[in-house]
Amino acid sequence: MNKHLRKIIANLSPQEKARVEEEHRRAYDYDPQDPLFGLSADELSGPQLSRRSFLRLVAASGGTLSMAQLLGAAGIVLPTAARAVAQSGGHLICGWAGTAEITTLDPAVINAVLQFQVASNVMSGLTHINAELVAEGDLATDWTVSDDGLVWTFNLREGVTWHNGDAFSAADVVYTYNRSKNPENSIHSGNLINVLDVVALDDATVELTLARPQASLLVKTLERSSGRAMTIVNGNAIDSMGLQEYGLKPIGTGPFRVTEHQLGQGVVLERFDDYYDPERPAVDKVTIIPIPETEPLAAAIETGDIHLIGGNAVAAELIDRFLANPDLVVDEIAGNGFQSVFANPWREPMIVEDFNPSVDELKTQSGFQVRLALAKAFDRERFIQRALFGRGVPGFGTINPAMGFYFDTAINETSEQRFDVEAAQALLAEAGYPNGEGFPTLKLLTTPAGRRAAEVMVDIYRNNLNINLELDVKDFTVLIEDAFRMEYDLMALGSGGDFDPDDGLVDWMQTTSRFNGPNRNDADLVEKYGERAFGSFSDAHVDELVDQQAVTADPDARKVLVQEANQITSDKVASIFTHHLTEILVHRAEVTVPPAGRIVGLRDLDRVYFN
Amino acid sequence: MRYFVGRALQALIVVWAVGTLVFFMLRAVPGDPIQALLADVDPRAAEVIRAKLGLDQPVWVQYLFWMRNTLAGDLGQSLYGSHQAVSQQIAEAIPRTVSLALVAFLISFTLGLTAGIVSAVKKDSFLDYGFNLAAFLGISMPSFWIGIVLIIVFAVNLRWFPSIGYRPMSDGLDQWLRYLILPGLSVGLPFSASIARLTRSAMLEVLGQDYITVARSKGLNERRVIFRHALRNALIPVVTVMGISLALLFSGSVVVENVFAIKGLGRVLIQGILNRDYPVVQGSILLVAVLLVFMNLAVDMLYRLIDPRISYD
Repeated sequence: MNKHLRKIIANLSPQEKARVEEEHRRAYDYDPQDPLFGLSADELSGPQLSRRSFLRLVAASGGTLSMAQLLGAAGIVLPTAARAVAQSGGHLICGWAGTAEITTLDPAVINAVLQFQVASNVMSGLTHINAELVAEGDLATDWTVSDDGLVWTFNLREGVTWHNGDAFSAADVVYTYNRSKNPENSIHSGNLINVLDVVALDDATVELTLARPQASLLVKTLERSSGRAMTIVNGNAIDSMGLQEYGLKPIGTGPFRVTEHQLGQGVVLERFDDYYDPERPAVDKVTIIPIPETEPLAAAIETGDIHLIGGNAVAAELIDRFLANPDLVVDEIAGNGFQSVFANPWREPMIVEDFNPSVDELKTQSGFQVRLALAKAFDRERFIQRALFGRGVPGFGTINPAMGFYFDTAINETSEQRFDVEAAQALLAEAGYPNGEGFPTLKLLTTPAGRRAAEVMVDIYRNNLNINLELDVKDFTVLIEDAFRMEYDLMALGSGGDFDPDDGLVDWMQTTSRFNGPNRNDADLVEKYGERAFGSFSDAHVDELVDQQAVTADPDARKVLVQEANQITSDKVASIFTHHLTEILVHRAEVTVPPAGRIVGLRDLDRVYFN
Repeated sequence: MRYFVGRALQALIVVWAVGTLVFFMLRAVPGDPIQALLADVDPRAAEVIRAKLGLDQPVWVQYLFWMRNTLAGDLGQSLYGSHQAVSQQIAEAIPRTVSLALVAFLISFTLGLTAGIVSAVKKDSFLDYGFNLAAFLGISMPSFWIGIVLIIVFAVNLRWFPSIGYRPMSDGLDQWLRYLILPGLSVGLPFSASIARLTRSAMLEVLGQDYITVARSKGLNERRVIFRHALRNALIPVVTVMGISLALLFSGSVVVENVFAIKGLGRVLIQGILNRDYPVVQGSILLVAVLLVFMNLAVDMLYRLIDPRISYD
């Protein structure tokens, strides 16, 4: 921060000061050749930055400095509240909902959100998403991208120390890449397919070379929690501790170090005094206890045995009870992922051989008429009220509110799937099932946890289309096998989701998507159904759009492509999109989770403090 | 002696049969652990992992490997996470389950025997009716439900005990007990009801026998008649139930461990089954089988101590 700016800041009101500092923080690492990052002077001025400008700035600069560094440079003394945060101390006890254990903290084998919620407090990545779901530097301070978008050069934070005292350097980034790209070592090797090489230019600089430009690189591949593949690990510690021990008590560079971990009994984290941001963490110690059952979890937070709930989603039926308790704080924000009911296009009466024709042409086919009727008859508002106690928003595609900028509620009005019972009944009649007569009893595949919601679905269809569905409840291990083999009529399934549109589109909606019936050509299935080019959905134009958006770095241009792909998958009923969950954070009133620490899907405990 | 050697051999065969059955049944039920593990990750990794864990081999080859390793004392590693050794998971879980079972056992027998004896001695009194009613309620209520009620009353409202968790004995006996009282009551109460009913009927039967009348007619103190002459004979069926009770206490603790967030053997097992984590399920069931089979053997030996007239030769 230069002297001139410091002088101006010193004379501003606290609110103005905060705003200027924040804007400066976002933009400090500007390129002298393009000081406005492709934005006009107007776009940069005003009381607030537009979302577009904000995204552009962050995308362009990638810069971040902690507030403490900024304030220190500006000679500003921390206000009382901020000092209280820094000095909070205390022992924070958290309950991890709906799980019996935190199986591993080794990023290479983490396969559940509730695991990386813990790991994100211990490990670091090159980037980390902030509360606005935009990637900012974590172990990287800033980065530059080549004109062709293929070479990314990251400057690393200096003076960073591992929990075991080792010094962090570019070699650790290269080690992590080499470890994670090998499927023998990491189940996330697929996330690095597009990264051809990672080279240490010196101790504090790494260069990533991509096979093709990737818009989601910062958020999906390099992010410390959702990325997993490039959550930086310590090779020396892995060698000396062994994989088993490292999985329980990984050595990281994050704000907390793991001091105890007994599977199923809990994880103990202690403040890491040499963390690169001296202001964090606010508390001295954190204990995380897995609590599988609903009522004991509620009792534990009501009695104060735990202070905060993480892990899986808190059961919807508890929320009103928590809201009525003055000792508790319930904070609800848009959740990530999408929820839907997949209708198997291989099976009667929902068969669609080819999704490529236009929607109007598809509407003449009985299989598509049935699919669309099911989608249109699904009363999302009623479902959300009855199954989720009002905690959710109607869903019409894979793009969800947690994707922020890329999410647009316009689809709620334009989608062919929008609720219209009469139109749904007409479609069903046209397909040969007037008033549901003669409609076969389809099985709705779901998990034990999803039973209640599935029962509401069955009821909605009985009322709106006069058809019967039968529940087929299977453990997730069995359900996912059936999903991959396309062995279902209807299946309630969704994605927990990362924060990038790729999560919905690349992973689910392309012909080659990993969830698009990947085992569809098992020998017994080929014998039964013949060779299949796709599982649940395939549309050539969607494939193209999704490929294109994946390499489009400009947020506005990318949004157009994402929206178009989302609209087509919705209109052509790639799945019956039902809802997006809201994410609910529950904690005791004696602790505060500041806005900067409220990141959807995560529990970054380094900012949490006792009042 | 020969009898016990024979029983021990039979026990080993039972344990082998249980292990083998579980091995094949697990592989027969639907649900592929690797696909569940890789639900949202790289499908390329599936085959690599399958080969690494030996799951690409024919089932009989897997069985031979399992037998060989088990005989060598190696129960394998979890298929999940950082592949923690099953023996380590079990070793960590056993003290918790044993602690819980011990507290539950003490509660159930203290309450059960007391209520049973009092009911029999004070037959048809209000006390007897009261204990009978309590016993019926205890038998009818599932332990997880009792657990939740206890949490609501004693943890949420009265705040006497913690709602969840476990503290090892190394944290102090008081802490250990404080965390185990509610789960111990949840498992122990339903069982104490059965013990009370059983003790009552056994005592009533014994108290009606001639030698008790003789003892009384000799002018023996009533306490001596009850505890020395009646109870000892009435205990035989109760001790039989003790053996079975350990099995019941284990099965009860499976559910209660979940309610109180205690990672004991029950939770290891449930988690293993839900994940289709073959080595974990095989290892824990094998251990439970060993415990139960040899516990029954121990009960048979106890009979002789209680009633020297019982002979196995």
